Amino acid sequence: MAPVVVAESLTKRFRRLTAVDDLSFSLEPGSITGFLGPNGAGKTTTLRMLLGLTAPSSGRALVFGAPYAELARPALRVGAVLEATDFHPGRTGRNHLRTLGRSTGIADARVDEVLRLVELAGAAGRRVKGYSLGMRQRLGLAAALLGEPELLVLDEPANGLDPEGVRWLRDFLRAFAGEGRTVLVSSHVLAEVAQTVDRVLIVNRGRLVTEAPLDELTARVGGAIRVRTPKQAELEQALRAEGMEATSTADGVLLVPDTTTERIGDIAFAAGVPVHELTGERSSLEEIFLQLTEETEEGGE
Amino acid sequence: MIDQIRAELLKIRSTRTTLALLVGLLVLATAVTVLTGLLTKTGDLEAASDQRDLLGIGGFASLFALLAGLLVVTSEFRFGTIRPTLLFTPRRWCVIGAKLAASMLTGVALAAVTKAIVLAIGFAILEARGIPVALGGGGTTGLALRVLADAALWGGIGVGAAAIIRNQVASVIVVLAWLFVAESVLFGLVPSVGRFTPGRASDSVNGSSDDHLLPPVAGAAVLVGWVAVLVAAGVAVTARRDVD
Repeated sequence: MAPVVVAESLTKRFRRLTAVDDLSFSLEPGSITGFLGPNGAGKTTTLRMLLGLTAPSSGRALVFGAPYAELARPALRVGAVLEATDFHPGRTGRNHLRTLGRSTGIADARVDEVLRLVELAGAAGRRVKGYSLGMRQRLGLAAALLGEPELLVLDEPANGLDPEGVRWLRDFLRAFAGEGRTVLVSSHVLAEVAQTVDRVLIVNRGRLVTEAPLDELTARVGGAIRVRTPKQAELEQALRAEGMEATSTADGVLLVPDTTTERIGDIAFAAGVPVHELTGERSSLEEIFLQLTEETEEGGE
Repeated sequence: MIDQIRAELLKIRSTRTTLALLVGLLVLATAVTVLTGLLTKTGDLEAASDQRDLLGIGGFASLFALLAGLLVVTSEFRFGTIRPTLLFTPRRWCVIGAKLAASMLTGVALAAVTKAIVLAIGFAILEARGIPVALGGGGTTGLALRVLADAALWGGIGVGAAAIIRNQVASVIVVLAWLFVAESVLFGLVPSVGRFTPGRASDSVNGSSDDHLLPPVAGAAVLVGWVAVLVAAGVAVTARRDVD
């Protein structure tokens, strides 16, 4: 299948600063891609170039095979939320959506449908100035969903959401991608999207640092399985017999690199060793992220 | 384009800004007509030209149409709604074109309501004071049409100017300073040039009796020219500028 989004050597220079530097990537249909990098890495500028708001200094961005601005009624194919605050405070949530819907020939009935979907039906008749940040986030999402798009682009959607909101968004994006549709979601916190995305694009200083499936990233940069057992020595021996080298930590836990929880569980079972804890070392994701972005900083100058 | 115009009209109707402009305009129109109608001596209201002055009140609807046009563009940048607007309609000339149409219609609506009030109050006062109506129906209609056309064009000037200066406060200040300071100075010093400014062209459309002004038809043509130039420049600038 043809890629949904293609960025070819995208570059954006502001006076002295190169915000995005020769960035190339593509998105496959049905995937959820995390677009990650520290603040100021060029994520937002990249998204604005993808969506035709900002013109690239060189390179180009194609959405469904064409520059965004050349799509006829793009809202029917692409939904995007760039800022959580893009509303007229004196306009009601429903009217905000209706103004957008009208410009693309979307019926008012669809407006009420998306309001129910993001659970804002009760507040739809109120002016946006009375909305909480979480409600504004959902209203922005409702606008993006108006045209039943195949691609959803969200810039830092988790900012200002409470844990319940984050969970709601995660479930929503999973379901959305489950229907074969595509999501590109940016964040400066890897952990925030780690449970949602299939693959990551990591950028720093406008350059692409890494492009990989999430589990590959975990495995590549020291992802380890964490095992707690009262019979450490016996388990270590059993693992060594299988060619694995475990390291024991100060708090009495074994860390085993380059393997899976299933494999360790099987080995422990075969050796008759009781296991009290067996988890993937997901908490190290943030360290991976920092490590990757720091590496480029050292290499950069 | 029709879809975009419908969207822009709903934007205008769905905030209190337009309502505030309308209320301000009505209060002003009512007050000026009542005061003029009641305080002018009977002898100064009997001639057709005097009645024309009374019933011709309402040129300030154009100022409100101008403000409406400025706000239609600048509030999008002020509140960030320009981003979703352009995501839904990435062809920027189309967005500006729709705003132009919607603002001109708003100008007509503002002027029509103003005119209706001025005429109703004006005729009521003439009748109450027992002054016979000297102005013919054609003259009355002509006055009304001029105010409507003028307000429509000022709505267009507002959109064009705001597309060039998209900061709300800056655009309002620059436009008002131009109208009330720069134009007056220019017209006072060099009327042969000053009469081509939008404000003076508009005065001639509204039938102002200053000898230095252009004839009304020429004034209307000059005003249309200003709308065309400003909107064309606004479209060109909007197409090139990045939206942050």
